[in-house]
Amino acid sequence: MNWLVGIMLLTSALSGLLVVTSRVPRRQVYAMAANSVVLALLFFVLQAPDVAYSEIAVGTVIVPLLFLITLAAIAMNKVRR
Amino acid sequence: MNRYWRLVLLAPALVVLAIAAAQVILAMPAFGHPLSQYGTTVNALAPVLRNVSNMVAAVNFDVRAIDTLGEESMLICAVTATVILLRGRRGEDMTECAGKLHGREWLERSDATVLMCRLMATTLFLYGAYVILHGTITPGGGFQGGAIAASSFVLIYLGEGYSVSRDLLHSEVLAAVEGLGGLVFALAAMVPLAFGYAAAQNVLPLGNWKDLYSGGTMVVVNAAVGVAVIGSFGVLLVEFLEETRAPRPGDEDDETREEGA
Repeated sequence: MNWLVGIMLLTSALSGLLVVTSRVPRRQVYAMAANSVVLALLFFVLQAPDVAYSEIAVGTVIVPLLFLITLAAIAMNKVRR
Repeated sequence: MNRYWRLVLLAPALVVLAIAAAQVILAMPAFGHPLSQYGTTVNALAPVLRNVSNMVAAVNFDVRAIDTLGEESMLICAVTATVILLRGRRGEDMTECAGKLHGREWLERSDATVLMCRLMATTLFLYGAYVILHGTITPGGGFQGGAIAASSFVLIYLGEGYSVSRDLLHSEVLAAVEGLGGLVFALAAMVPLAFGYAAAQNVLPLGNWKDLYSGGTMVVVNAAVGVAVIGSFGVLLVEFLEETRAPRPGDEDDETREEGA
């Protein structure tokens, strides 16, 4: 199973790089959500399914949603001003 | 300091860092071979002493229940602070429709989206409840199950839209649910004190290993955490989603728009 862990570690590094290199905030949010999916799979491979649960629920649903709402609120406010 | 000198400084710093990192990496135990005595002790003792098969729950809700009570209070405080910040600027009134960006066209939801969201939201909520209920037996527990169940609120918003989800999800109800969870946890920690036990001591009958009821007080605390997390994440989502509504005439936000127009 060690090669699977290696693949997951590489994938998480790559997806983390995508978060850092994307310069548009909205794309960055999606990249962050994708990174969270990869991290959840990594936790699952490392036999920590409960941590994977929290990572999926918090990292791919709640936190990206809060960011998207904030971006939407900023965009709507900008038009008004 | 220009770019050249910064690079010159970087080179020795990298060398020092690499040497230090190599020392640490070589001294680490092999991958996948944890030597934690605490972990092996809990693994050996919790099934015998507490009749539970989820060691994470045994640590969180029994061995270190007081720590978890502190974390729970922190979660509730953080959510309360967020709600105060958001409502303080926006007020508690509600409008009927969601806001949209100026000039963006309004697209109806497709029936497929609505159907999928309804199916997935109910399934997800039930799955969250399942994870909470089986917290002492299988991986997961109150926090995980609560977060999963609260994710279904997002699907309700996605499928039903702002106004319907506003009718379905009441911030006051969710806040009461959150408070109820926190109260039950605090009671589970405090009531043993009244009978001469230690705080958060496991005083209920332990039940059978691998049963739905196993772990005594852990079952109560686990359910309390699950309920509190559903409530607090729900409040957080509802209050944030309220930020996307359309401003009403007379709103604080609306005045600036009329000045600009």
